[in-house]
Amino acid sequence: MVVSGRSRVAIILATAFLASVYIADWNRAIPRSSGFSGINEILRGFLQPDFSQDFLIVAIKATWTTITFGTSAIFLALVIAIPLSFVASGTLFRSAVARMASITLVRFLLALIRSIHELIWAWLLAVLFGFSPITGVLALAIPYSAILARVFSDFLNDVPNAPLRALRSSGASNVQTLLYGRIPMVYKDMLSYGFYRFECCLRSAAVLSFIGLQGIGYQIEVSMQDLYFGQVWVLIYFLIFLIVSVDWWGSKLRRSLAN
Amino acid sequence: MRYSKIISWPLFSLLIFCLLASISWAVVLNDSNLGAFFSGSTVTEVVDNFRQIYYSYISSQSTPAFLSYESWYNALFLSFRTLLVSILAIGLAGLVALITFASGARNLAMEGKSPLKKPFASLVFYLLRVLYTVTRSVPELIWAMLIVFTMQAGIVAGALALAIHNFGILGRLCSEVVENMDQRSIRSLRSSGASSGQIILYGVFPEVLPQLLTYILYRWEVVIRTTVVVGFIAAEGLGRQFRLSMSWFHYDEVIVLLTCYVALVLIVDAVSGCLRKMAS
Repeated sequence: MVVSGRSRVAIILATAFLASVYIADWNRAIPRSSGFSGINEILRGFLQPDFSQDFLIVAIKATWTTITFGTSAIFLALVIAIPLSFVASGTLFRSAVARMASITLVRFLLALIRSIHELIWAWLLAVLFGFSPITGVLALAIPYSAILARVFSDFLNDVPNAPLRALRSSGASNVQTLLYGRIPMVYKDMLSYGFYRFECCLRSAAVLSFIGLQGIGYQIEVSMQDLYFGQVWVLIYFLIFLIVSVDWWGSKLRRSLAN
Repeated sequence: MRYSKIISWPLFSLLIFCLLASISWAVVLNDSNLGAFFSGSTVTEVVDNFRQIYYSYISSQSTPAFLSYESWYNALFLSFRTLLVSILAIGLAGLVALITFASGARNLAMEGKSPLKKPFASLVFYLLRVLYTVTRSVPELIWAMLIVFTMQAGIVAGALALAIHNFGILGRLCSEVVENMDQRSIRSLRSSGASSGQIILYGVFPEVLPQLLTYILYRWEVVIRTTVVVGFIAAEGLGRQFRLSMSWFHYDEVIVLLTCYVALVLIVDAVSGCLRKMAS
């Protein structure tokens, strides 16, 4: 019997999943002693969200804080990632050795940086620099710039070769080929991918409460400690609204870039 | 295009984004205590921190964790549990997405091609779409907080939090694959008298399953990174130990854990890349 590569992958994944189901400690997967009343509280909060004016002001402020963190982080990440992607794509160097060296070295560094989750970065940076907003922004910007640089450099490498050869044969330098050949071909992809990452970054910014920074996650934690689940749900609605509107903006952008 | 007369929508978006970014930077810089950051006191603090860490090891006589066999063994065991959580999470997410995505696709639900009856089908469609959006928009950590509030912390709690978020992502992506796929195969099956179940089985699944596999592998790479952070809250695997070591200022253990974490992520990336190549 011939098994295609695809079904082999499916079988491997299913086996791994079944093994993990078998090993997992299901005897601990029980509600806490207070669990059922906990579920009850959460559901009651869902049915009676706290839309009082005082709390709405708190929620709007928290949402604004999250927006500022997310936006400044993704902006910084873009500023770092774009030049970095030129280096990581290796297109700036003429000699094959320098190109290979820069590609391997920079890409390995990028893989290392993005393998650490933004909140671990946040914790590590907070130990060094203290728990201020700039720490949170830096913590988000570091892994996001690595992801963006990696993807942008892939975009830059995957352009068709013919226009580049035409530019080169008319005497364009590597930098000129990059500026007039590669970038015009990929800036739309870069823009739409960057926007998708903007959405992700806002979501990450919402949980910067992890290192005690303000924002939606912080208010959710506070409300949850006071068992005000009506407030928790309102904050979750604000978060959903924020993510959905950025998603809407991004999809509109992608559509108008496509035609 | 309404905007094209004055300014194109992409340019408009870019301008709005830059405006928002500059306001945001102003707010962030205003709220951070930059005087301390630039006056050099932070730098001396950092140096002090490192010096203290260094001297505490010189004086404590105990071998640092990264030289002891036992701590590496322990960290490897925790890495294994973290891997377990990530596989359990992405498997659960993929399974539920696989069951639901056909009912969440607009073209199947709205044109009577769903196995469900007409008004019921559109109801399920809207419900699923709202569910995908809600689960996707709320990050794993917040799900973890809610779950740990009601359930014992552990592998299953952590996996559940990760699974909920990724279910939303996978479900939405698969539904969009169905919506964007070539509709002719569905139509030709339809015209040759296939039932709606057969359409999904022979027309939709062959198109979506390879995509779902790829998405699962891609998301697995993301999940393995996040599992550690969810472990902080769900008290399992590397995350839990990381939190304990950090709060006891045992930075030698933190180094061991971080090394294992990075290695685990790089291995998962490599395995996922291999499997994706195999599946294509």
